[in-house]
Amino acid sequence: MAVPAPASDEELAARAAAGDGLAFEDLVRRHQDRVYGLARRLTGDEADAADVLQETFLLVHRRLSTFRGEARFATWLYRIATNAARMHHRARRRRPAESLEDYLPRFDADGRHAAMPEALRVPCHAEERLDRRILAEKARAGIERLPDGHREAFVLRDLEELDTAEVADILGIEPAAVRQRVHRARLMLRGFLSEEMGAKS
Amino acid sequence: MNPLACASGVDLIMDYLEGLLAPDVRAAIESHVAGCPRCAAFLESYRATPEILRRATAEMIPADLSESLLASLRARLG
Repeated sequence: MAVPAPASDEELAARAAAGDGLAFEDLVRRHQDRVYGLARRLTGDEADAADVLQETFLLVHRRLSTFRGEARFATWLYRIATNAARMHHRARRRRPAESLEDYLPRFDADGRHAAMPEALRVPCHAEERLDRRILAEKARAGIERLPDGHREAFVLRDLEELDTAEVADILGIEPAAVRQRVHRARLMLRGFLSEEMGAKS
Repeated sequence: MNPLACASGVDLIMDYLEGLLAPDVRAAIESHVAGCPRCAAFLESYRATPEILRRATAEMIPADLSESLLASLRARLG
């Protein structure tokens, strides 16, 4: 006998909107890991991520009747989570983040790289735990210092690995603007990592 | 070699990596990078940046949070 295909997110959302509490719980179970991961990366903080996670699913529940199914459920969910994280982040931020602009590449008067760029290595599995923890802290600190719009575009596109069109949909901006923000975020973070990871000459 | 090529090339890296550039622009970048060690090193580090940060920030939902989420949503939603 054929095993029935699991209900799609959109089917579950329709049932949840009609008052099926179990369908809603299925959606929560299905997406809680990714929403947590996204919130953790956007807020940089474990407790904030837990708050954003709960807030997101409360909002999803409240707004289910407005989900029309013209977008993927996941896209709609990430939009809610990203907005919740942004609100949370703004309310919590104690001081303005120091800009990463100083880490943009530098060129001489002729437009040539002013110095030899540091090599960046993707750490391999065998790295010590301590190094990994320090790297994780530095990574979060760098991402935290990006302007909000750049951080969101970079996290969704490069860390959550959504495609550019979906990120554009989530953020309500043009795909070209997503690419521009992601590119600038990469440039700043590349410079930041070079200073933090490398023996800066 | 075009003296502005490093700076203008850097502006185009993402479009280059995504294959969005016209063939002649793409070829100009490749020929510049082949003869410019600084651009070659820059391109490598630019490419590595997202992956380094993706791995460094990957984190699972804590088990206790995963367990408490549904209970707390049930309580809040009545």
